[in-house]
Amino acid sequence: MNHLSSETFGENAKAALADTQLRGALRHATSLFGKRRLEAARSLSNWEDLRTEARAIKDEVLLHLDRYLETFTANAEKRGAVVHWARDAAEANEIICGLARQRNARTIVKSKSMTTEETHLNDALEAAGMQVVETDLGEYIIQLAHETPSHIIAPAIHKTKGQIAELFTATLGMAPTEDVAQLTSTARATLRDRFAAADAGISGVNFGVAETGTIVIVENEGNIRLTTSLPRIHIAVMGIEKVIPRFADLDVFLKLLPRSGTGQRLTTYQSFITGTKRNASDEGPEELHIVILDNGRSRMLAHPLTRQSLACIRCGACLNACPVYQQVGGHAYGSVYPGPIGAVITPQLIGIEKTAQLPYASSLCGACREVCPVKIDIPRLLLHLRAEVAAGPKGNAMERMVFKIWARVMMSPSLYKLGSRAGRMMQRVMPLSRAWTSGRDLRPIERQSFRDLWKTKYGQ
Amino acid sequence: MDSRETILSSIRKHLAASPPDDQPKPVFPESVVAPAAKSLVDLFKENVEAVNGHCIVTRDVSQAVTRIITDLGARKIAVSDTPPSAEEIFEYDVGITGAQAAIAETGTLVLDSAREKHRLASLVPPVHIAIVDASSIFQTLAEALAFIHQNGDISPAVTFITGPSRTADIELTLAIGVHGPQELYVIVNQGPSLSH
Repeated sequence: MNHLSSETFGENAKAALADTQLRGALRHATSLFGKRRLEAARSLSNWEDLRTEARAIKDEVLLHLDRYLETFTANAEKRGAVVHWARDAAEANEIICGLARQRNARTIVKSKSMTTEETHLNDALEAAGMQVVETDLGEYIIQLAHETPSHIIAPAIHKTKGQIAELFTATLGMAPTEDVAQLTSTARATLRDRFAAADAGISGVNFGVAETGTIVIVENEGNIRLTTSLPRIHIAVMGIEKVIPRFADLDVFLKLLPRSGTGQRLTTYQSFITGTKRNASDEGPEELHIVILDNGRSRMLAHPLTRQSLACIRCGACLNACPVYQQVGGHAYGSVYPGPIGAVITPQLIGIEKTAQLPYASSLCGACREVCPVKIDIPRLLLHLRAEVAAGPKGNAMERMVFKIWARVMMSPSLYKLGSRAGRMMQRVMPLSRAWTSGRDLRPIERQSFRDLWKTKYGQ
Repeated sequence: MDSRETILSSIRKHLAASPPDDQPKPVFPESVVAPAAKSLVDLFKENVEAVNGHCIVTRDVSQAVTRIITDLGARKIAVSDTPPSAEEIFEYDVGITGAQAAIAETGTLVLDSAREKHRLASLVPPVHIAIVDASSIFQTLAEALAFIHQNGDISPAVTFITGPSRTADIELTLAIGVHGPQELYVIVNQGPSLSH
């Protein structure tokens, strides 16, 4: 069921709907995440103000992104970090493989990073002969299973503990058990050895602070702290949109991100890393490399609507809230980023041609917009992308024509009157287009229009 | 043109092409922090315990530490001032560190690398004992952020710790102590400051 394509979303979704185990796991996880998020948001009296403020900060950054990235880079370099720029996934992987190769790195520990999922960094490192170990428990599980993450913050959300137990028994030689504490400690013991042997650590970045050149990474497990402090070299990968202006802005984002993601007030650990250590004898890596990745993001700046997509802080709340994601899970989207935000970002990153079905993987109910901590208008973005699909080669010429006529009719009272009269007669003899009505409830037109009803009841 | 210039000029080009945003600029009220209803020490203790940590408020820190170590029957103890090497620390039972500040509203410890040179003692051993002065407890996250970023400077590594290491990656079932400690003891020192 792995490595599905976005081009077959419809079929993927049908297969997922038939998988009762998957749907049970999804129902449990998304409802629990949703409940916890709501409680956490309610624990702050100024939640709505925080959302507004976060969005205003992101808008400010995005409108001057070149300047903030330059400030971030200058400040990080002043403190000893080396900043690299990568136009696309291939260049980012080349930079990272090169850094690892020059240092004869054989074992590389990695903490969870959606950006490196996007660039398929693990494949590149393995092709270069290096062993890469994912150290986040969820990522480790799916790495052992040769799968991809199905949720932005809970990568193995689609798996039951029974499936994970089978996997650990088969791959790690664990004695069969479904005890979650036992499963966790098995992973801990195996991964400790990898940490002790690691030559390089690779992480993502949640926020890059322009004012100080600091990178901030949040987590619960402690694997990010180990990844970024044990090996001699730390390589951090961040998308261009991760930069924020001021250190004090973290107050807003560190309130919103954990509450939206897991319903926590703060995650267990926040690492604030500013350049390299000051004395050679201090704890921590000798080298810090920050790889700034574009990979299609700068294109999204060209319109106020698409620009919103870059405000995303990857909390995953829209996935949990989405009635489509709740039923089909992350893999059906066939993309690195699933759910509503994935349906918005993916077509913009890799092109609408290969992802034309994704903007339609939504009922436009607006639940995603309600929960988004940075108030991204996801439904409006989906409509924007649908318009792009409809106007392009994947659009349906018949549908286009029908809606053109529809628009004309709706704008003219006399045509509307005529049209509804014609429709009333036609619906008796001709059923509506099957493709449109098989998945939608369309009520037949009433026998009498409101105008006629008024006329018979109250005269002229 | 190198990659840096390519990306920056792509950003400039696309921003220049963008039609003006019709969204009105938001106006938001000054955030007002209501003073805590209880003492910061009590609030801090309550929140440490809410995230599965233990919290001991005392005037006698050494007695509290001795007691925890005795009760645990711990043999190898790493102290952040004079730690074992990164390889050896995996063998230790307990790690003891200070904390330069704390946040009452979240039950969070703040470890600053300028003072806490060996923060692995707070992460690798299965038990972490942290000592923080009662007078170093702030109410809010914002105050703690301002504390670690004073006079425009910040240490190379600052770590916030809220409770013991945890995961919920298997069926969202809470498991304590995945990569970090299973037990966190926070000792709030009400006696004379130990930080000098």
